[in-house]
Amino acid sequence: MNQPSSISDKEPLSVELTEVWKRFPGVVANAGVELAVQRGSIHALLGENGAGKSTLMNILAGVYRPDSGELRIHGRSHQFRNPADALSAGVGMVHQEFRLIPSFSVAENIVLGSAPPVIKTGQLESDVAEMAHKFGLEVDPAQPLWQLSMGERQKVEILKVLWRDAQVLILDEPTTVLTPSEVDELGQILRRMANDGRSIIFISHKLHEISGICDQATVLRQGKTVANSLPMATTSQDELARLMVGASPAIPNRQKTTTPGQALLELKNLSAQSDRGVNAFSEINFQIHSGEIVGIAGVAGNGQRELADTIAGLRPSNSGTIIMNGTDITTESPHRRFQSGLAYIPEDRLGVGLAPQLSITDNAILRVYRQQRRGPFILGERALSYCKDLITRFGVRAGNLSGPIAALSGGNLQRLLVGRELDGQPSVVVASQPTRGLDVNGVKAIQDLLIEQRDSGAAVMMISEDLDELLAISDRLLVIEGGVLRGEFDPRTASRQEVGMAMLSDTKVSSKP
Amino acid sequence: MKLPRLNLREQPLPGGQPLAFGIGLAIALFVGTLLLLGAGHDPVKIYSRMFEASLGDPDAWSITFNRAVPLGLAGLAVAVAGSMGLWNIGAEGQIMAGAIAAAWVARIGGDWPGLILILMMLISAIGGGAILAIGPALARAKLGVNEIITTLMLNEVAIRLVQWLIHGPWKDPDSFNFPLAPMLPDQARLPTLFSRAHFGLLIAAAVIVVASVAVRYTAWGYELRIAGSSEATARYSGISLPTKVLTVLVLSGAIAGLAGGVELAGTADRITETISNGFGFAGIIVAALALMRPSGVAAVALLFGAVQIGGQSIQTLGVSSSVSTILQAFVLFGAIGAGVFSRYTVSFGNDSLPVNEEATS
Repeated sequence: MNQPSSISDKEPLSVELTEVWKRFPGVVANAGVELAVQRGSIHALLGENGAGKSTLMNILAGVYRPDSGELRIHGRSHQFRNPADALSAGVGMVHQEFRLIPSFSVAENIVLGSAPPVIKTGQLESDVAEMAHKFGLEVDPAQPLWQLSMGERQKVEILKVLWRDAQVLILDEPTTVLTPSEVDELGQILRRMANDGRSIIFISHKLHEISGICDQATVLRQGKTVANSLPMATTSQDELARLMVGASPAIPNRQKTTTPGQALLELKNLSAQSDRGVNAFSEINFQIHSGEIVGIAGVAGNGQRELADTIAGLRPSNSGTIIMNGTDITTESPHRRFQSGLAYIPEDRLGVGLAPQLSITDNAILRVYRQQRRGPFILGERALSYCKDLITRFGVRAGNLSGPIAALSGGNLQRLLVGRELDGQPSVVVASQPTRGLDVNGVKAIQDLLIEQRDSGAAVMMISEDLDELLAISDRLLVIEGGVLRGEFDPRTASRQEVGMAMLSDTKVSSKP
Repeated sequence: MKLPRLNLREQPLPGGQPLAFGIGLAIALFVGTLLLLGAGHDPVKIYSRMFEASLGDPDAWSITFNRAVPLGLAGLAVAVAGSMGLWNIGAEGQIMAGAIAAAWVARIGGDWPGLILILMMLISAIGGGAILAIGPALARAKLGVNEIITTLMLNEVAIRLVQWLIHGPWKDPDSFNFPLAPMLPDQARLPTLFSRAHFGLLIAAAVIVVASVAVRYTAWGYELRIAGSSEATARYSGISLPTKVLTVLVLSGAIAGLAGGVELAGTADRITETISNGFGFAGIIVAALALMRPSGVAAVALLFGAVQIGGQSIQTLGVSSSVSTILQAFVLFGAIGAGVFSRYTVSFGNDSLPVNEEATS
């Protein structure tokens, strides 16, 4: 590990975080994180999902308070109570989701919240234009915001922070909404701001972008700093990727009890769009056989959620076919797919898999109420006994079965949902982030259920952001990045680095000059 | 800094809503007392008069019942849609449409036997309300057009239709030029149960019971509640949302239409400009206080009917009927305010930051 002290001898540090701890219920997000950012530099903050980057930046921007640790801005110690405190100390954050008002003009959006009592529109717009010009953030101050592209909106967000005279700018995954040429432009703008004496903290997953833009990089893993202020000039992308994903952990003894049989789920050239109307994933081809768990690894937001939704029938496909048990189900309704043996454990448990305001019993019978009827009536006794049976078999701890399901803990919600989906002896199981946010016992219980399904001959597809989990329980591992399959690995022989590189590198763009 | 914070209860307080309603009533009476004192009236005298006129004896009860019938049906119409998270703001217009449809049957079937005539009138009223709701229902189901706007706007259409009818083709020649439609034939009127209470009471009670049972115990109602809780869950489990939206909004309109038919044949006896009398809008309040549960509508409607009848009765004492309207408003405010505490507890924390947010990345 580098010594931050040696850096601070040369240059004044604009941001210095020492031993920052932050715990959330059930998870330690930051466990003694260190970060040192030099004045006038662009500093990359790297880490996998859940490494603690966003928590750390929210602490720096005054959104969260750290449990312990020291926070220095330009050498002065601070304790921020809210984002306004952070801003007055010169720290501003550009969030991933823009916080702009579509019907306001660019200038109005920029001054929102710090506007003078009387707004002179002409004066304001020329002030904004002048500042925009200085940093190369060319936008028309009078234009209404809704007419702007995503890239332009990001400029407005950056100007908003600059308008409040932030000396430290935090950009949370700023390139996800940008086209490649916009990314290059952003790099130049950031360099100009750095030359002006400001510091920029740049959060990203995309290593090739970082190497072109940033001066130093700090890498977090599992809430700890694993590399502090590496100079980008002398650090390779491979080295960064290895630091991010860590060394291969000892893989637990895997007893493979079944050999894969016939293909139960087959995707042929499948493509679909995201909610924003761009391609979420394209030309996906793979098969899942009876008796195997296929893991889908990838950083969040690379098309895996949409892929699961499309297989389950909740999102229309643009092209391609989905074949289950030999039948084309591409245009079947979600319910028909369920009836023909597809179980789907969606990423959003409450809200998609379960109806939050309804009772535990009502949620338990979601898949079987059509069979538990006499005439138009649902048989209350049968519903209740079905629910009790489910709860006993899958170890759900629940009090009042007619109370709202939202009162259950995350682990119990997931046990009920998984139990309900697996109860119909499915032939194909699609599980999206089935163990996310669960405690150790919950994770184990859900993994065991999926393994049990595999052993009894089902084809299981498991999407997870936890690479260790996928390496531990899947029989084959596919990596998705940018909506495209980037590789297939055998979890018994694959190293964490190899898979990590496939998850992080964009082979199409990284071969740039 | 000590700031009060609301924390969601795991389970709503049992009996919280009736309690909240009681507190709302108490707040309303307290504010009403101040109001009456300010206007120089004796609150005790006014309140006892209100009570006597609305709940004091069987005659008073019968008048309150007659008021509660359209309120309850309108409230049910709103609550059925509300069970699925839809807002039917058009019950007012649907009541008029139902009344017009029933009156039209009475005009063409003036010499039919009473039972058949009344039956046909009520069926026609149901159809009238449903027809007014079909447009918004289709627009919402097929195109996702906000039903709040469309149902609200159709109220205007319905009131203009009523005005045109009673100023024009349906104007009673014997009305001394008042804009009124002719009286219904005698056999078209709903039979009387006791004192002044008409048969509509039983109709409303039956419809409310059937709807409550349907929403609570049938597969149809189960799907409705799933869709009301989360549209994504409904899609996930294979419930056809467009079909559901369509049937529920049309059903809601049909119930409001029935309210119009019952009001016409039971109380009004003729189409006037005020045939719907604000019942459709009061129905929204009734449904909101019943937490959009059809089973809660009857009790709320009865209490609201009593407040309205009581409010009317004190006009003879020189108190403006606005007092009763203000009281209704404060019952609503108080009950909604108090209702918060049946779902939340209050604590005084010293940390205004969100501590329970999930760590994402």
